[in-house]
Amino acid sequence: MSAEAIRNTLLAFADDEHLMGQQHTEWIGVAPTLEEDLAFSSIGQDELGHAVMLYELVLEMDSIEPTDAAVDDLAYGRDASDYRSCALTEYTTDDWAETLVRHWIYDAAEELRWGLAMGSSLTGLAEVAGRAEREEVYHRLHADALLDRLLADATARDRLLIALHTILPLVPSLLVPPPGEAEAVTAGVLTGSIADLAEPLRQRIAERFATTVDPLANQDALDGRLHRSDHFAPMMTRMREVIEYDPEAAW
Amino acid sequence: MAVYEVFIKKDGREEFRHAGALEAASDDLALVMAREAYLRRAEGTRLWLAPRDHLIVADAGFVEPNLDKPHRHHDGAAVAARRKSIREDAE
Repeated sequence: MSAEAIRNTLLAFADDEHLMGQQHTEWIGVAPTLEEDLAFSSIGQDELGHAVMLYELVLEMDSIEPTDAAVDDLAYGRDASDYRSCALTEYTTDDWAETLVRHWIYDAAEELRWGLAMGSSLTGLAEVAGRAEREEVYHRLHADALLDRLLADATARDRLLIALHTILPLVPSLLVPPPGEAEAVTAGVLTGSIADLAEPLRQRIAERFATTVDPLANQDALDGRLHRSDHFAPMMTRMREVIEYDPEAAW
Repeated sequence: MAVYEVFIKKDGREEFRHAGALEAASDDLALVMAREAYLRRAEGTRLWLAPRDHLIVADAGFVEPNLDKPHRHHDGAAVAARRKSIREDAE
């Protein structure tokens, strides 16, 4: 099995976690309530933590010592074409309803995705999956408690369903396997393909939002996570803003 | 939205202590918010929430008459002083 196949498989997950964490933490200071501000940025920080653990596995594969600087290089220093994130996590929005809908959908998919890593032949990945999933339980509690409350309110429900309409076309991008994933599945690095999550995710979304349309029917052109959406470059600029001031600085 | 008073307890024999308060739209949300706002740095292992509306709150001044009753402070100081004095007299 090629190292590149495993590397792509790990990076796809790591980059999604990294970008999702970044998107969530951008709500610091501007979430609807102080309590939500703390909770949501804390959840974002958890996702960043998961990304770090996955990046460390990649560095191990590359025989690079996983120092903070090495993780930063991997997280912030690659060319856009070397990222394996998807359009759903790259999508940037200042709409709280869209943010909330994506938070719920991403975390539902994330649970299924960690499920593919729990029995990994890569011991490090199985351990990371166990650690991450212990935190994810609370992310889902948060998303569900908010949706339980908001979907029961007519005005909030309307806003959420409009947001769902915007977010759903992006969801299939999350289910696109990176190049080499099939090889990684054969080797037992994952116990299944991320594409196999479509059916369980479809059921969860339909149940949560009581939608009668197929939530994943609207598939945009998908390209195996090789190209970044328009939202990626501005996001990377925001993420690198401080590093760019002094790339040589010791933190 | 309702205000919830937050109580947390550290592991071991320490009692629950009031940690603060927060505002939330449901009990479930209050639990999640309390977890992130008050316990994310391992400040405790147990969590209680009480809706502020459910607290039975005494009127201001309700306990004031008890503020000036030194005879109820039976910390043994007076007895200890007397015993010391008797002991010294005996020496």
